[in-house]
Amino acid sequence: MKQRAVFVLAFTLSLILLFILPLSAKEIKTLSQFPMSGPVGSLPEFGWGFIDGMNWVNNEGGGVNGKKIKWFLEDFRYNPTVEVANFSKYTAEHPPDELLMATGYITGGLKPLIEKVNKEQKIPWLDGSYSTEIFGAGGGPSKYPYYYSLGATYGDQIKVLLKWIKENHKGKGKPRVAFVYSPTAWGRDGTPEGIAYAKKLGFDVVAEIEYPYTATSATNECMQLRKAKAQYVIYHGYSGATSYTAIFFKTARKIIPKAQLMGTHYTTGRFPILVAQEAFDGYVGVATRPFSDPVPRAKYPKDNAMVKMAHEFAQKNRPEEYKKGLKGGIKDMFLYMEGLTYALMLQKALTDADNAGDLSREGVKKALDNMVWDFKGMFGGKTFSYKSHTIPMLQIFKAKVKMVKMGDKMVPTGGVYPISDWINTDEIQW
Amino acid sequence: MIDLIQTLGSGILVGLVYALLGLCIVIIFKASEAFNFAIGEFLILGSFLFYVLFFNETLPWHRALPLGVLIFLFFSYVFFFDIRARFVIAIPSGLVAGFLIFCVLFFGLNLSSLVSSSLLRFIIALPMGLLAAGFVGSMVERITIKPLLGRSPISMTIITLGLGFFLRGCIQLIWGSHAYPFFLDLPDITMEMGDFLFLSDPIWAGILSLLTFGLVIVFLFRSRWGLAIRATSEDQAKAMAFGINSRFILLIVWAISALCIAVAGIMISNFGALQVGMGYVGLRAIPVVLIGGMDSIGGALIGGIIVGVCESLAGTYIEPMGLIGFKDVAPYILLLIVLFIRPYGLFGTVRIERV
Amino acid sequence: MLSIENLRVVYHDVISVLNGISLGVKDGEVLIIIGANGAGKTTLLRSISGMIEFYDGDIIEGDVKMDGTSIKGLDATDIMKRFDLTYVMEDRPVFWYLTIEENLGAASFSRWDKRVKADMEEVFGYFPVLRSMKGKRAGYASGGEQQMLAIGMALMTKPKILLLDEPSLGLAPLITEELFSIISQLNQTGITIMLVEQNAHAALGIGTRGYVVEMGRIVLDGTAQELLENEDVREFYLGSGKKERKSYKDAKRYKRRKRWL
Repeated sequence: MKQRAVFVLAFTLSLILLFILPLSAKEIKTLSQFPMSGPVGSLPEFGWGFIDGMNWVNNEGGGVNGKKIKWFLEDFRYNPTVEVANFSKYTAEHPPDELLMATGYITGGLKPLIEKVNKEQKIPWLDGSYSTEIFGAGGGPSKYPYYYSLGATYGDQIKVLLKWIKENHKGKGKPRVAFVYSPTAWGRDGTPEGIAYAKKLGFDVVAEIEYPYTATSATNECMQLRKAKAQYVIYHGYSGATSYTAIFFKTARKIIPKAQLMGTHYTTGRFPILVAQEAFDGYVGVATRPFSDPVPRAKYPKDNAMVKMAHEFAQKNRPEEYKKGLKGGIKDMFLYMEGLTYALMLQKALTDADNAGDLSREGVKKALDNMVWDFKGMFGGKTFSYKSHTIPMLQIFKAKVKMVKMGDKMVPTGGVYPISDWINTDEIQW
Repeated sequence: MIDLIQTLGSGILVGLVYALLGLCIVIIFKASEAFNFAIGEFLILGSFLFYVLFFNETLPWHRALPLGVLIFLFFSYVFFFDIRARFVIAIPSGLVAGFLIFCVLFFGLNLSSLVSSSLLRFIIALPMGLLAAGFVGSMVERITIKPLLGRSPISMTIITLGLGFFLRGCIQLIWGSHAYPFFLDLPDITMEMGDFLFLSDPIWAGILSLLTFGLVIVFLFRSRWGLAIRATSEDQAKAMAFGINSRFILLIVWAISALCIAVAGIMISNFGALQVGMGYVGLRAIPVVLIGGMDSIGGALIGGIIVGVCESLAGTYIEPMGLIGFKDVAPYILLLIVLFIRPYGLFGTVRIERV
Repeated sequence: MLSIENLRVVYHDVISVLNGISLGVKDGEVLIIIGANGAGKTTLLRSISGMIEFYDGDIIEGDVKMDGTSIKGLDATDIMKRFDLTYVMEDRPVFWYLTIEENLGAASFSRWDKRVKADMEEVFGYFPVLRSMKGKRAGYASGGEQQMLAIGMALMTKPKILLLDEPSLGLAPLITEELFSIISQLNQTGITIMLVEQNAHAALGIGTRGYVVEMGRIVLDGTAQELLENEDVREFYLGSGKKERKSYKDAKRYKRRKRWL
């Protein structure tokens, strides 16, 4: 009986200790969520980049002035419900003075979280969404004070493309522009603003087509574009890494060979070169990051410090995956770099807040609002300010694809190459 | 008018592919009264098997070896228990088959160095890919469906649901879930006359689907194996009593079904790229077979064309009116109307009532 | 040629149907098996032909031997191919949606060769009515025609021993008579026949020997003539016997036994 009492006492004591001990040491915690699987395909690169980045930050990078960041990483499978559920779970488990920042990745998850992030939790939230509705003129810092985006809004991206058309349009008459967008929150975001701007510039908007992810053929859509005699087709709201993009480009190249195909951030990149091959040649698109992953990979531009850093990181930490490429490796360095940029952004914001002496959610928000940074040289040495809660930097790229005979196979080579300087959309007079 | 013909034409071409998908469901339904919900996964799997052969894609040894062993076990099993070969014949033939498959997967087939013309390469690779798909289909049947023979068809249907998830997982494990480039480079037969434009790829898809459909029908109605299949489809017990091995017939039916799905999958992949996520295409078979009738082979053809044309018409005429996304819903609305009027589908079998 | 030794069969692991049945079939005879509904006649045929597994039944004891070789547990198709034993199921087992010609073709699947056409002619010789409607779907044929077709299909498999399960089910007496005369014709060509029948009178008329099965056991055996004259058989299966009406309460069973489930 006595022994049992001792045992129960020891058990209770250890339980109490278990609850008290963590409270005694205050930690810096962050939550990150990426769509590493789901309808956009399998994208573990986000996680790899983020893990490598956070390991670097905590060790060589010096942490937050010596203190380590305890980071959490979740895959939300491109599902807003999962993203919201994860966020609720972590905010319930971790006290507000420890969990200082959170990141997400899609527009669909931002909308249901508006109340929770901005009114209840008041936690700075970095997001991969470039939603015009939330970060553009209708939303912005005044409406959603805790949302931060890591790129220019889709509206701005489309407007920059339209500006490019205006500057480069040859031939008589008004440019005939068509919009193809996905029937999702992503695809519908920014398109109305783009259409309005096109009309303001005096363009003819000849077609507006919603092309779904479940498409098995794009013949109908392309025939409509052909009938409308579209000269410029803006393809928005699609991942470049999927079969529907390949379907669209392969079909469009044959039905409307003369039209200029254009696109926004996630369509631009390395993947369509591999999948759509020659059909992707001549594509013009904007991107908010230096797209730096030509085929073959060794030819990446070494003058950009951030790009160089990402490639070196990948070579060091993921040598196998770096080499393998499409077959189970890093398919596009952009994805890896994206994970890395999140890690660096977390470190920068937390360090700034710590330097200002206020390592809390409010302190991090202040640090972000006042941030002026060159993002380790990502934008060719240009700096940006986070006033508008977006990183307002854009560059226009053009795809050059050439089929080369390698061994007994024809393989595509080439990449997307910048055809403009970095554009700060905050400084443009629309 | 030009619009209408153009729309109908492209609708029929895609519809023929859907018809092939419908046929795969119908023959399995007729043979075992089970609905194969794993059709999407079979579609991707078949396309991947063809991909491996046609594009000389190789797998690392830790992927290729288990597949080789699996083929060995399966072959020996079928030779021994179904074809009733002796043990000394069954095991070596299984070993040879397994070794061949392993070699193809591990070293690659390197067709392109042997044959320069892409058409010829396609003609060689297609039957091999389809055969491989057929083998996988029969293997799946042996493992999952056969133990349920004589039980309720509902349990088979539910097994196919689980099978779908399992196969999807396997495909992701072996090939990953990103998109693969898919260029068949078939001879360009694009038809362009004034305002008409029919692209080469859909025309090829239509032709090959129709051809496969025709071959299956000839096989079913003009060969003694087809006769056995039709007899088994009607009643497994009766067929067994008259010396038709229903179990082996069921295996053949699944193999044919997997083979046809692979043709459809290859054609659809050729429109764009090959990706695990493309499995949803298989679901197009549901309105096809329900409109055509679950047990009617001709109904699958008509149903496929109806669904294809319906999608195409909705895409051209209804969506521009502002009903965006209607294309995906239109076949189901049509399906509802058909089911109200004819609950067995347009060509569902009228049960023989003797008087 | 066929011998069944102490056979016990259970359906779904619980329903015991055959409780140790033993009998033998001699070469060239017509063996009649009569018994009430649920006595286990069909189950007996299913277990001999290897179909029992399909109906989720199990042979838990005993053996079935064909010329001394055990055929227990073999597949139905194997038994048919190796031992030339064909089982014609009850209720006219024809394929309704195939034509009559296709039906005959399907039945010859296991031994497809050049002689199929000639055999088909032979079947049409036995059943001329089938020839005139060979392009017609079997489902639209009458009951008698379907039963003839079923026996014709069985002939296509070239059997040495034919198990017939109630061929007279639902047929008019005249057609039954015709059918039975054809069966005895077949027997004369050298086919051993095992016939399960409710219509005991007609069956015993063409039979050589007979067994009476009840509750999964053999309760009586003898030559056809003996059985026809047996008082109990007359009373229960032939419907004749003494003139005065007997109440069912007094009906004598050969072995009083409760059925346990």
